[in-house]
Amino acid sequence: MLHLIEGTRPHLEDAVLRNMFEARKRVFVDLLGWDVPVLAGRYELDQFDTADAIYLVVTDGHGGHRASARLLPTTRPHLLDTMFACLCDEPLPRGPTVHEITRFCLERSLPACDRRAARDELVSALARFGAGYGITLYTGVAEPGWIEQVLSFGWRARLLGAPREIGGKRLGAIAIEIDAETPGLLERAGISGTLCFAGEVSDAA
Amino acid sequence: MGIGKALRPFIEFAGTATNPADLADILGETTGRMGYDYFALTHHVDLRDAPPSTIRLHSYPDRWVEYFDRNGLAASDPIHRASQRTAIGFAWRCVPQMIPLTPADRRILALATDHGIGEGFTIPAHVPGEANGSCSFATANGRPLPPDNSAQAQVVGSFAFEAARRVWQVRGAETDARPRLTDRQRDCLIWAARGKGDWETSVILGISEDTVAQHISQACERYGVQKRTSLMIHTLFDGTISFADIARR
Repeated sequence: MLHLIEGTRPHLEDAVLRNMFEARKRVFVDLLGWDVPVLAGRYELDQFDTADAIYLVVTDGHGGHRASARLLPTTRPHLLDTMFACLCDEPLPRGPTVHEITRFCLERSLPACDRRAARDELVSALARFGAGYGITLYTGVAEPGWIEQVLSFGWRARLLGAPREIGGKRLGAIAIEIDAETPGLLERAGISGTLCFAGEVSDAA
Repeated sequence: MGIGKALRPFIEFAGTATNPADLADILGETTGRMGYDYFALTHHVDLRDAPPSTIRLHSYPDRWVEYFDRNGLAASDPIHRASQRTAIGFAWRCVPQMIPLTPADRRILALATDHGIGEGFTIPAHVPGEANGSCSFATANGRPLPPDNSAQAQVVGSFAFEAARRVWQVRGAETDARPRLTDRQRDCLIWAARGKGDWETSVILGISEDTVAQHISQACERYGVQKRTSLMIHTLFDGTISFADIARR
């Protein structure tokens, strides 16, 4: 199932959100060793998980986490402008139609091919959501392995500057152009999603 | 020491300013006394899309500021980019050693000169979770920077920016309606937020396990929530506890 959660103060009452914050802790803290705060030993959330954040979450039928991403408006402080502006060799993209993709998270416990399917669902959802919401550009900061994947998905994506070493990690800033053609570009490259947002009507129906 | 005595009046006055106009007056006066002609206290945000808590206070020539805003130069200002590379104040003439300058960057710097702004000194202001900003002092074109007062400018710039954060309510207005916790309630909450159970917390704080549970339960009541994880999120986002409190290591 595909969930769009927005405009809500951070909370753990909803199972989908709760499972997402737990998955983020397992991936970003336990697996990747990021130096980010952990709440109650179980949940990873930070100062950007506010009511301004938009979450896209792919779950199984019971709300169990498969993949998720957090979108932040770039008209407010976000990661790229507050912490990683030095990764941009061109003016940092910002504006009401520019959102930053952060905490792109795939469920560790899934077998590799299910994880890849979840990844494709989320990428496809990001494109369809963006096009429908009026987003023209996604920005983001990523390590080289993920940058390589993003640049190969078939959408119009580019580096905003040369990757640099920050805090012992090699990072780069990327921008992804979004318009009505983007879902088609992804499909042609083999990335497609079958899930619909609640209320969305699938073309295949 | 000379610096402390000269700056105390500024620090006190800046701390009591309650509106932008007062802060501008105090800052303008201190700018002149330090030997500069202009000050600029600003978040590094394009004003065309900025929320109301965006700090902008300056004494630059109006024509320069209008040009700057009309052309969205905040997004590419080389001084702003350089301020992200350091924690202390820097002279503008050092910027070429701090970041690679593009032809567009040199054009912006030349334009500022055309508009009457000469040399400058910028003190960065980086508060995690907020837009980056800075306080700059500049001389009129043709006049050199005042000698040897970078330490003074550093202190003035830092306290000025902090005063601006208070005046612009960057963190949101303080209201009496916000629940307040006792120190002990907060202590217990912080250890729970760090992942400690009630028994572990009781050992750390030297009180009984029941007392720990009671403190947390009373804190939940003050916030009107049932679950302690809800309490943790409320208190994180209202500033009662900070992300630094629960940071690893």
